[in-house]
Amino acid sequence: MCRAQGDAVAGRRGWRLPGTLLLLLAYVGYLLLGSTAFWALEGPAERHSAQQLLQGKWELLGNYTCLKGPALERLIQDIIKAYKSGLTLQGNSTSLGRWDFDGSFFFSISAITTIGYGNLSPSTVSAQIFCIFFALFGIPLNLILLNRIGQLMLSGVQRCAKRLGEKLRWQEAAAILTRTCALVTGLLLFLLLPPFLFSVIEGWTYAEGFYYSFVTLSTIGFGDYVIGMNPDLTYPSWYKNLVSVWILFGMAWLALVINLCITLLENSSDLCQCGKKTSKGLEQELMDCNKNCSPRPDDVENGSSKDTKPEGAN
Amino acid sequence: MCSDKILTGLLAVSYAIYLLLGAIVFRALEKNEELEQKRAVIQMKVAFLQNLAHLTEADVEQFVKNLTDAVQRGVYPVGNESQAEDSNWDLCNSFFFVAAMVSTIGYGTLCPKTVAGQIFCVFFASFGIPFTIVFLHRVSKMLFLPCERLGRCLYERGMRKKKIKFLTLLFFLVMGILVFLCLPSVVFQVMEGWSYSEGFYFAFITLSTIGFGDYVVDKQPDRNYPSYYRFLVAIWIIFGLVWIAFLFNLLTTLLEDTEKKIAQNLHKRGKAGKDNEENRKRYQPAGFVSAEEPSLLGSGDAQKTVSLAAHLGDAKQVETIFSL
Repeated sequence: MCRAQGDAVAGRRGWRLPGTLLLLLAYVGYLLLGSTAFWALEGPAERHSAQQLLQGKWELLGNYTCLKGPALERLIQDIIKAYKSGLTLQGNSTSLGRWDFDGSFFFSISAITTIGYGNLSPSTVSAQIFCIFFALFGIPLNLILLNRIGQLMLSGVQRCAKRLGEKLRWQEAAAILTRTCALVTGLLLFLLLPPFLFSVIEGWTYAEGFYYSFVTLSTIGFGDYVIGMNPDLTYPSWYKNLVSVWILFGMAWLALVINLCITLLENSSDLCQCGKKTSKGLEQELMDCNKNCSPRPDDVENGSSKDTKPEGAN
Repeated sequence: MCSDKILTGLLAVSYAIYLLLGAIVFRALEKNEELEQKRAVIQMKVAFLQNLAHLTEADVEQFVKNLTDAVQRGVYPVGNESQAEDSNWDLCNSFFFVAAMVSTIGYGTLCPKTVAGQIFCVFFASFGIPFTIVFLHRVSKMLFLPCERLGRCLYERGMRKKKIKFLTLLFFLVMGILVFLCLPSVVFQVMEGWSYSEGFYFAFITLSTIGFGDYVVDKQPDRNYPSYYRFLVAIWIIFGLVWIAFLFNLLTTLLEDTEKKIAQNLHKRGKAGKDNEENRKRYQPAGFVSAEEPSLLGSGDAQKTVSLAAHLGDAKQVETIFSL
């Protein structure tokens, strides 16, 4: 039985790897496809917007002694519109290049992760329609990838718990210990430490960085703070890539934690409903995790609802 | 059954109270700060207009820079002094801000600027987002009633199960697209003055919880909105979120199946041999979940992860509803 298990594990891992790599490749490829499309669709419109804004400003400079209220209001509206498409006035030019490849790539990420900052958003009709279809298939793709990452995290934690349990000869305590550790590590790595990085590179305060981290990872994505958008700063080349990786893993981790909260909430709200087969109590699940791979009759039934319960993130 | 309805009602009421409390707190935290900033910017603007004759070009440059800064900070210097007293953080707007936040749509047209507001936002959403998911999960059961009824009707007429499944699914998709995407776009076209494609784009971006914030309903100052407008939009968002969650769930399952097939093909080519055949046989059947090896066989795993839209879909539920 042990040997068969071992073989099975190896076989499964061997099977998993192409699957996960393929998924990652597909994901990155999809993002690249999107970035190219947005770059092509929005670039020209952006240049036009920039020209309009500059012209408005020159008119203002030329005529300011004869300026009336309405003209100023118009300029303000132009500034607002330009800001929404990611342009800002800088001296005699505008900060062009928001819809360059980099910007489009980040926009594609913000779309399919459903963060949706909005500091950059498509203004042409064709880009908007493309955005709809791009997100329609991109969001499920993103969900699958995040789920895969979450499962990898969970299985890692469970493996650690098992090994620790073997050393301590006390499975339950090991389980609780590893899960608490995992939760704390996740908290540090994804929510408490990144604000330091942001305060160094972006110049935000710690609280602002923390707020930004949470808003991003929970996919709320207000867009009031966005990394890499300050035209006065120069960013190191690894910065945006690191942040993208952080977003991916952080979202997977936060999803696991939110899953846990939901399990708790739904368990407490289902208490009044007897006779309904709900997910087992949390303790029961903890015990289950420690058992080896032996399918139980009710597992088969609850199959798909059981395995991504965040026992590992407890 | 009765207790189920009572429970759902209780849940809805407590959810509404939670949002209301959040709205009140945000309003208290943010209103003064916003009014101050707005006043400052508008004063600057007024001063500029009054002093036109005495300004140099450099002054004008500086003024434009200040305007740009203000816009970047989210304070829009439109209007004149009297409008500086209208805060964006009245109770109604706060409530919709809170709702947009816990549904993770997060438009960003209104966001907390004070430190206290931002920190409160983090903790409020940490509980609010799971709460919202639980609430919408309950709502989803209501949404499926018409499909179930249709299915039962067809079953009584003697249609085969597979065909019923296909038809109810089709009904669900088509009706959903009409009711949640096409119809609202027409409404927005009339009420907001957008084009049809803009309305459709807004509808999709909102319901998928992306929420860019480039288009937002009920925000144009020069239009008159009927009093029930916001209420209708809220209802639309609630049910639309649920519907689109299931749509994404279907697409996820589809993509996962495709990925499984491709991965299986790769595996076949990569490792030939009897051992591997045996391993594959051991792990294929659905539902065998080992504590060590989280199941690859999706069948709806992916929707358990992040994103409001994702979490609501439950493959088992979809299956039971569409197959009687």
